[in-house]
Amino acid sequence: MLIMNNVSRIYRNDTIQTHALRDFSLEVNEGEFVAVTGPSGSGKSTFLNVAGLLDTFDQGEYKLDGISVHGLKDDELSKLRNEKIGFIFQSYNLIPDYSIFDNVDMPLRYRGFSTAERKHRVENALEKVGLASRANYLPSQLSGGQQQRVAIARALAGEPKILLADEPTGNLDSLMARQVMELLHNLNQEGTTIIMVTHDPDQAREVSRNIQIIDGQISDFRIYAPLQTTDKEQSNTKGTTDEHSIEQESVDA
Amino acid sequence: MLRYNLRLALQSFKRAPSLYFLVLITLSVGVGLLSANLALVSAMAGDPIPEKSDQLFHVSMNTWPNDQPQAEPFHILRYREAIKIAESDIPTHSAVFYASGVYARDSKSTSLQRFDSTVRATTPGFFALANAPFAYGSAFAKSSGMEVVIGDELNQKIFAGKNSVGEVLELDGELLTIVGVLKPWFLRPLFYHATEGRAFDLTDDIYAPLETSIDLGWSIHARTSSTVSYKGVKFTRDRNVFYLQAWVELANKSDKKAFQYYLDQYSQSLKTAGEHPLAIRNELRDVNAWLLEQNIVDQKVLAFTLASVLFLCVCVFNASSLLLSRFHSAKFEVGLRRAVGASNKQMLMQGVTESALLGVIAGITSLLLSWFFLKLSTKFLPDLANLAIIEPKILILGMLIALFTAVSSALYPLYRANRYTISAELK
Ligand SMILES: Nc1ncnc2c1ncn2[C@@H]1O[C@H](COP(=O)(O)OP(=O)(O)OP(=O)(O)O)[C@@H](O)[C@H]1O
Ligand SMILES: [Mg+2]
Repeated sequence: MLIMNNVSRIYRNDTIQTHALRDFSLEVNEGEFVAVTGPSGSGKSTFLNVAGLLDTFDQGEYKLDGISVHGLKDDELSKLRNEKIGFIFQSYNLIPDYSIFDNVDMPLRYRGFSTAERKHRVENALEKVGLASRANYLPSQLSGGQQQRVAIARALAGEPKILLADEPTGNLDSLMARQVMELLHNLNQEGTTIIMVTHDPDQAREVSRNIQIIDGQISDFRIYAPLQTTDKEQSNTKGTTDEHSIEQESVDA
Repeated sequence: MLRYNLRLALQSFKRAPSLYFLVLITLSVGVGLLSANLALVSAMAGDPIPEKSDQLFHVSMNTWPNDQPQAEPFHILRYREAIKIAESDIPTHSAVFYASGVYARDSKSTSLQRFDSTVRATTPGFFALANAPFAYGSAFAKSSGMEVVIGDELNQKIFAGKNSVGEVLELDGELLTIVGVLKPWFLRPLFYHATEGRAFDLTDDIYAPLETSIDLGWSIHARTSSTVSYKGVKFTRDRNVFYLQAWVELANKSDKKAFQYYLDQYSQSLKTAGEHPLAIRNELRDVNAWLLEQNIVDQKVLAFTLASVLFLCVCVFNASSLLLSRFHSAKFEVGLRRAVGASNKQMLMQGVTESALLGVIAGITSLLLSWFFLKLSTKFLPDLANLAIIEPKILILGMLIALFTAVSSALYPLYRANRYTISAELK
């Protein structure tokens, strides 16, 4: 589904270079639910942005659903973003003066669907997040948790192959966070691949696979996954298939 | 997509109404001022009779009987030359005329009110030559006879616009019958009388046969020159009084050549008879060459047009910087739309749609403003009164300029807005 090989992303300004990602390699298979953890500033958001084609990378190779994204033109990248990726942000990023319906409808507008098809999809997506009755509300008339569910509906409406979520529960209290997590689990069970950045070890523990990013690289994945066996110390920066099988074990254990 | 983009544009106007209002006013004032000037210049520099302006020729001759003072070909002619021209059958049509004026009233009217009316005392070829548009009746057939053709304005004033053919007018005490009524007739410039600062006068009220006018002694309301004294127009036929203008319609080059030869032969005969001491110089100028030579385009208006182009540039820069701040604050939404799959091209189209819509609105307000500016300018330059008219082509041009300036004001801000990294605004 997603393969990164030795990807680096360097932010340059006048005085300093920040290696937000360095020789970053990872493979995520279809249907996985991956939790990404790591200290602040370690490159988690950068990874997600690169994965979601919201940011470029400087070196390495990135394949999304079998398509190498390097060298793609803007409209090809936009099409990929539109059709294959759903993005969920920490601060929801809803447009405040658009109705819930129009917010969810937005990605579909760039897809050339008929009016009827769009309506059907928006209603379906809102149904999934349990907000079908609020289609005509404005975002400000909903609670934080509901707003995030609208954002999820927006990400879902185009039926993407992969959902990328950057601290989706970061702004929510634990009850609302719970609802959002349940929603994500349901979606994953229906087959959507999910990569989620989180600071919450409990959330990380409940998903099929954990990775940890430290200083722009994938580090020892076990730190936040105390359930796994301890005999397989390994720094998982390379050999993605390997890494995957180990994680599977750790979850099974 | 267009409908969606239009909806987004309206939404965007709603979000920052005062800013968009400022942009609108800035552009409208700039475009309005320019369109007003262009309207003036276009009316001044326009071709009044494009369908045959290259076949109509003004005749200038130097037939001055002594070597003082007129060495250059003269735009006014004596009766004898004028008749020589009218006699020739080389031109398809010819017109020989002078400008006069009378007081006119309906001879049957009980009211004694008289209307001060301009008169064109002319040979009958005038109407066909100048493509005068008839509403009723037709031209008079001879240069004599008590018949007239009247213009629409006078017909409105005296006969309330009805078909007045057959009615009798009392003109300075003489009774003349109306044989033709013209439709509203606009010639800008008034090519057949572009001299003496009259290029922007209206077409005449009354067209009367030349010989009749001379016989009735209707005075000459235009420049005259003479080597002798004379008591009035009645006595001009066989004297050295220069006052008639002549136009000929020549269908092709060989006709023009033939007619030039005809004029030169005539001058030669004067020379042979000892009546013409100067070199033979007769000139035929077509409508546009003639108008150009008369320098009828007001230099003040030209200078002001240039200034208004520069002013419009300033307006565009202003609008652009306003839009820059607007688009800067819309960065978040641009980033979000890009993130969910809008391509750069689609975002550009959205921005262009918004600015085009702004341009259409600015176009409409600018045309209202330019109408207002024109009214204002005729207050200061009353000479321009008959020119201060926005023709359809200026309407269209004004709309296009407004569209163009609105879109170009938005181009740089749009370019900037679409260069932000998508993720920068999304947290
Ligand atoms: N646009 C940018 N320009 C320059 N440096 C950047 C930019 N975005 C991120 N960085 C730097 O790259 C590094 C990684 O940032 P990133 O946002 O990926 O961290 P993170 O793991 O998401 O942190 P957090 O948990 O606090 O969200 C940081 O050092 C950050 O300062
Ligand atoms: Mg982050």
